[in-house]
Amino acid sequence: MKSTLLTMTAGLCGIALVAGAALAGVNILTEEPIAEAQASARRQAIAEVLPQFDNNPADEAFEQDGLTLFPAKMSGTDVGMAVETYSDNGFSGRFTILAGFDTEGRLTGYRVLSHAETPGLGARMSDWFSESGTSHDLIGHTTPFGVRADGGDIDAITGATITSRAFMEALNKAAEACANSTTDR
Amino acid sequence: MNALRIIFDGIVKRNPTFVLILGMCPTLGTTSSAMTGMSMGLATLFVLMCSNMAISAIKNIVPDKVRIPVYIVVIASFVTILQMLMQAYVPALYASLGIFIPLIVVNCILLGRAEAFASKNTVFASLCDGLGVGVGFTLALTLLGAVRELLGTGAVFGLQLYSADFGALLFVLAPGAFIVLGLLIALYNRLYSHA
Amino acid sequence: MLEYIAIIFSAILVNNIVFSQFLGICPFIGVSKNLESAFGMGMAVTFVMAVATAVTWLLQHYVLEPFGLVYVQTISFILVIAVLVQMLEIMMKKVSPSLYAALGVFLPLITTNCAVLGVAIIVAQKNFGFLYSVVYAVATAVGFALALTIFAGIRTQLALADVPRSMRGVPIALIVAGILAMAFMGFSGIKIA
Repeated sequence: MKSTLLTMTAGLCGIALVAGAALAGVNILTEEPIAEAQASARRQAIAEVLPQFDNNPADEAFEQDGLTLFPAKMSGTDVGMAVETYSDNGFSGRFTILAGFDTEGRLTGYRVLSHAETPGLGARMSDWFSESGTSHDLIGHTTPFGVRADGGDIDAITGATITSRAFMEALNKAAEACANSTTDR
Repeated sequence: MNALRIIFDGIVKRNPTFVLILGMCPTLGTTSSAMTGMSMGLATLFVLMCSNMAISAIKNIVPDKVRIPVYIVVIASFVTILQMLMQAYVPALYASLGIFIPLIVVNCILLGRAEAFASKNTVFASLCDGLGVGVGFTLALTLLGAVRELLGTGAVFGLQLYSADFGALLFVLAPGAFIVLGLLIALYNRLYSHA
Repeated sequence: MLEYIAIIFSAILVNNIVFSQFLGICPFIGVSKNLESAFGMGMAVTFVMAVATAVTWLLQHYVLEPFGLVYVQTISFILVIAVLVQMLEIMMKKVSPSLYAALGVFLPLITTNCAVLGVAIIVAQKNFGFLYSVVYAVATAVGFALALTIFAGIRTQLALADVPRSMRGVPIALIVAGILAMAFMGFSGIKIA
């Protein structure tokens, strides 16, 4: 089509209108499923790191020492706490993990939420620290968490001491926030 | 017959990865495993088919001088729709492909096909072209991802073929992406080069 | 202050945009045949990336977020970048013809350089502050220019080598880029502060 000022303006405005309307429409349609998907991903992660509970920890979430805590309850009594914690000292910057603690402060489970660690090395933290029957199985462990190189009792991931150390830092931070939250309340 | 010809040309003769060398960023960035490579390819295929059809449908009412901005808006709209759909229904996949989904907008394959094919052909032919080129792209990414996953971790699509202990980690990391793609293009040249 | 030094170092070497983030590969392969144009492209990208990141930051924080329009982020960012590149081209032609002569030919190519849109989106996702974002963008672009210049230097030598026929051109260039990426991996894990 020939380009005159009129057709160009009309063409651009027209396409902008159609595109805007289409996007707004799809946004309205998908808004609810997106929120639902995010909520269910969080619910699932919390259920994975904690023992049985019957409340909705995500609804009772609160902040403590800059971390988000999700208290889990079984018929009204506390059974544990899931903590979204992080470390900025990973091999490739920040990673976040969700760690679960029972009321005695023992680690009940963890899940790596996001990371940029090297595949095959640092990325092995996703299951390394919960391999049962090894000296790096942290389930049931209490604070302080420390790798052997730092005088602790936990074997670091082979070839990924920096990641392991950062992982311990994140756990210690989580355990501390967890302990503080019970004394503060 | 003609439609098949267009699709087949898109897969082999005009393969975006091996012949046109377009869309390199997602090609290298999302192929650390066969699964992510294939997902990225399918996502691009979806946008390419939609944008090719839409652009071909409006080709006669768009003034020449502003056609590029119009094409970009069309492509970006479909990418955004894809983003929202993926966030809603396959959030884990969306998270693993990360920034490469919005970056489909600047994938040269899309604007290239819009300008070179969709703006001159019928809606149906454009659909076929989008399908062919998109499938070609998907196959290339899947192949690259499979080779890297196999060499790096001993698995393909998560199916362990030999112990991961024999895998060369390098191939899953950044350098492996460049090297494997270089070798695959060389292989393609060896097989199909008419020169 | 240390924080800024850390982000500059990390964006140029540790998380180099080409070798570890896989952004801006097309111009990296396409405009690296000789040193001069590689350097020009690098400078043009630095300029555009700094301006584009500043503008998209303002757009994100003062328009998209307050009005709940974050879902049109992709489409609005790409349009802003396209318009910006056009405007820069026109202004450069008028104001500084010599600069235009040096960088002008690269400008249209930058719109579809995914590094520019990529950095704008990364900055929005990570919620950086304004100054931090601009510093990050410039450092990333310098990393891009560095990668491009080194690569062009190698490719001019490579042109003289006797490469097997099916490996000529892009394949051998990619393999060289792979080896360079390995070299850049040596920087990973290094930390300031």
